[in-house]
Amino acid sequence: MLICDEYLTPASLDEAFAAMERHRGRYRVVAGCTDTLPWAREGRAGDVEIPVLIDVTKIPELNERHVGDKRVRLGAATPIQRFLDDAALGRAMPAMPRCAVWFADDQIRAQATLGGNAVNASPAADATPCLEAHDAIVELASATGRRSMPLREFITGPGKTQLADGELLTGFECDAFPGYGGSFEKVGHRRSLVISVVCLAVMVKLDRDGKTIEDTRLAIAGIRPVPRRLREIEDLLRGKKLTGELLEEAADMPLDLVQSRSRQEYRRDVVRGFLVRGLIAAAKRAGASPDALTRELEAAYG
Amino acid sequence: MVDIRLNATINGRKVSRDAKPHLRLLDFLRDDLNLTGNKEGCGAGECGTCSVFVDGVLMKSCLMPVAKAQGATVDTIESLAKSGELSVLQKAFHKAGASQCGYCIPGMVMAATAALRANPFADREEIKERLGGNICRCTGYQKIFDAVELARDVQNGRVPATALLETDTADGDVIGKSVRRIDAPSKVSGRLKYAGDMIMPGMLHVQVLRSPHAHARIVSIDTSAALAMDGVESVITAADVPGKDGFGVFVHDQPIMARDKVRYVGEAIAAVAAEDALTAKRAVAAIKVVYEQLAPVFDPDAAMRPGAPVVHDYAPDNITKHIPIRVGDVEAGFAASDLVIEESYSTQAIEHAYLEPEAGLAYVDHDDVVTVVSPSQNITHHRHMLARIIDRPISKVRFIMSPVGGGFGGKEDMIYQGMLALLAMKTMRPVRLVYTREESIISTAKRHPSRTTLRMGLMRDGRIRALAMRMVCDGGAYGLSTEGVMRKAAILAAGPYAIPNVQIDTFGIYTNNTPSGAFRSFGALQTQFATESQLDIAAERLGLDPFEIRRINAMRDGDMTHTKQKLGSVSLMRALDAAEQASGWESGAPAVRGPVRGDLGHDDVRPSVTLGTRFASSGAQEAAE
Repeated sequence: MLICDEYLTPASLDEAFAAMERHRGRYRVVAGCTDTLPWAREGRAGDVEIPVLIDVTKIPELNERHVGDKRVRLGAATPIQRFLDDAALGRAMPAMPRCAVWFADDQIRAQATLGGNAVNASPAADATPCLEAHDAIVELASATGRRSMPLREFITGPGKTQLADGELLTGFECDAFPGYGGSFEKVGHRRSLVISVVCLAVMVKLDRDGKTIEDTRLAIAGIRPVPRRLREIEDLLRGKKLTGELLEEAADMPLDLVQSRSRQEYRRDVVRGFLVRGLIAAAKRAGASPDALTRELEAAYG
Repeated sequence: MVDIRLNATINGRKVSRDAKPHLRLLDFLRDDLNLTGNKEGCGAGECGTCSVFVDGVLMKSCLMPVAKAQGATVDTIESLAKSGELSVLQKAFHKAGASQCGYCIPGMVMAATAALRANPFADREEIKERLGGNICRCTGYQKIFDAVELARDVQNGRVPATALLETDTADGDVIGKSVRRIDAPSKVSGRLKYAGDMIMPGMLHVQVLRSPHAHARIVSIDTSAALAMDGVESVITAADVPGKDGFGVFVHDQPIMARDKVRYVGEAIAAVAAEDALTAKRAVAAIKVVYEQLAPVFDPDAAMRPGAPVVHDYAPDNITKHIPIRVGDVEAGFAASDLVIEESYSTQAIEHAYLEPEAGLAYVDHDDVVTVVSPSQNITHHRHMLARIIDRPISKVRFIMSPVGGGFGGKEDMIYQGMLALLAMKTMRPVRLVYTREESIISTAKRHPSRTTLRMGLMRDGRIRALAMRMVCDGGAYGLSTEGVMRKAAILAAGPYAIPNVQIDTFGIYTNNTPSGAFRSFGALQTQFATESQLDIAAERLGLDPFEIRRINAMRDGDMTHTKQKLGSVSLMRALDAAEQASGWESGAPAVRGPVRGDLGHDDVRPSVTLGTRFASSGAQEAAE
């Protein structure tokens, strides 16, 4: 049970910083609360008494949305559901709607926030590999100033980030990839409401004929302490002709990706299958030429 | 505490009232506004029965601090059938028989409402996907999906609204007809009150102190600090039990709260009744218990060895129950067999996971009748046990069975009703206890974990000549239903097969694990898992089809069971035929197939699961890509 004496909902960043200053050492910042409330239960943190909860989801800046051709800026309080509701956003971040549909369930993603997913820094977070594939920059603010850094530097380990005391994550700035095909592969014990055992974000851009890979982005999570971009695979694929052999070659690169504490062998099998399947799905959505990939390959990894 | 002045529109009405800052929207709706239609099944966002609309968007109200509803429009299950007229979806749930225990149903109806609002033409796969955040334990979901499809088709005019109505039973003949359940309207509307939904004037709230140790002597319990707290009305321990303490389905070995020692992690030690649940919780934290650790035993085989820690003094060998069955001469049977297979099997503890966590309400009525309202699956037995425990004549003890939000055997044990009765007697006020999901899991019975060794002797033609089985089950810290489970496990161990020589031993063993108890099939699962698995192995070794080896050995009409019950009619052959046909079984011994089976891939075999059907139906994202 999460017990507080006061629940504050500041209407601006300044109000939030003032509250944080006023209650220094006695507060916790919350957003969607979809992880905080289950955390404060028997078997995890148990009954937790926090004098002041500061809810940042009503701060306008944390709800901003700007979708351009080159860049996307999203406030930290953006609910995951927005990637399913906002077609322009889905076009700019084409793996993200696919990720969103696998994220918890219909109810929770209406409330869970992008910022919360990043600050939580779970190794199994679903949104962070997508953000990583977009070279996301996190924007941080405090009463004394602002700074920003790449997401991959921000998340330093399981549950660990560079967020400083008195600081808030306000938003993300990402590369936009309109015209790319996106996919998101995830496996857990069931479909909805499940923690990823492996999850993979893939984006592919093909040439006009749908036969050559012009660009691709891949990032994986659930199998190591922090999400990992797969630049080696991106480099292998970029500029090559799209063939089944190439995708299998990519999946077979000896990268030693699985560094989880458990079920390593299973995860290695899954990662290989996900790489091929994710690339096929993304390439198809990017307009792959019908003869680029064989039916057998699609059946094998479908 | 700084209360929040909450202004919101709830079920169409303006609400303006103070709320405690730590409340979740679910608490505010259920406890402050008495809108108990939406339930709490897990408190952790997993089950979905708390789902409500906030500004038209479905949310899990157990994950939402009430302050987030400031200025919002909130609609609960009560909003759907406002003046008593059920919505089309609710009628469809009624018609399709989609509600069983009903506890998940308010959330299911809300999620289905959201799904058909999002896509009025959603197909079955998309309905499944959109209901992914809601768990049902009873139905297997099929009837729920049937109901949503029916509602969709009625809404879209594809089928007439009369499809929602009762099948004509004017002639009074209901046999063979699809008759609607009479209790369904109360469930689909959220109006049915489960024990945790009930309130009484002046009611106190109960919380329980539980053991952190698996095996320890209780040196002392100091409740003085808890009793001194404002708002605390009573604290009870085993010392307050006036009669002969002890309950259980067969052996009455479990005190209503730990007496002298604790035997498993989660065992109740003391209970507090206070003006509100938070105060009761804080009082529980203020109770001081001094323990002296005892050596625990967690493995039933280890518990059977000489010198093992003794869980109950009355059973120095830690055997709760041993059931032996002997038919014919198994050694002679094995000697005469062409093939003898010996294998070992194990099964694990399983939680029932009913959607409704345990809850109960107790009071002493105007005639001094101690009354307990709870979803007990065994109220008459509970009543007799409680009368002895509280030392009252049976005429002064009453049990009322509240709607059971799923039981599956897990609510047969009188785990908490004794504490409630005692607190009601001590305070002379109504008292209510509502378990959390975690409390339900840690303190109540599980399916018996088992270890089985099985020898089976067969002839070349597939006939079983002899079967010898020894199963050791972890019964946990208390007897509960172990004796009956061992009995049924033994009776059904050799399956519905005519076997001339049978030797079966089942053992239920005390350990310091969570007690094991009744669970669907009541022991048959554990032994038959071994027997049926072994038949498949035998089929492979003998080159027989798995259906065939079962037909060869099947009991027939008039056969005698291993425990000498004469069977008038045996439906096994029909069941085998039906299963073979329905599965599209590719006949042959298990070893004849290669990596690809011929009986997969046909129309009745479901494709592997994925998510994202909504992209295909909406077209928006697909078009964007």
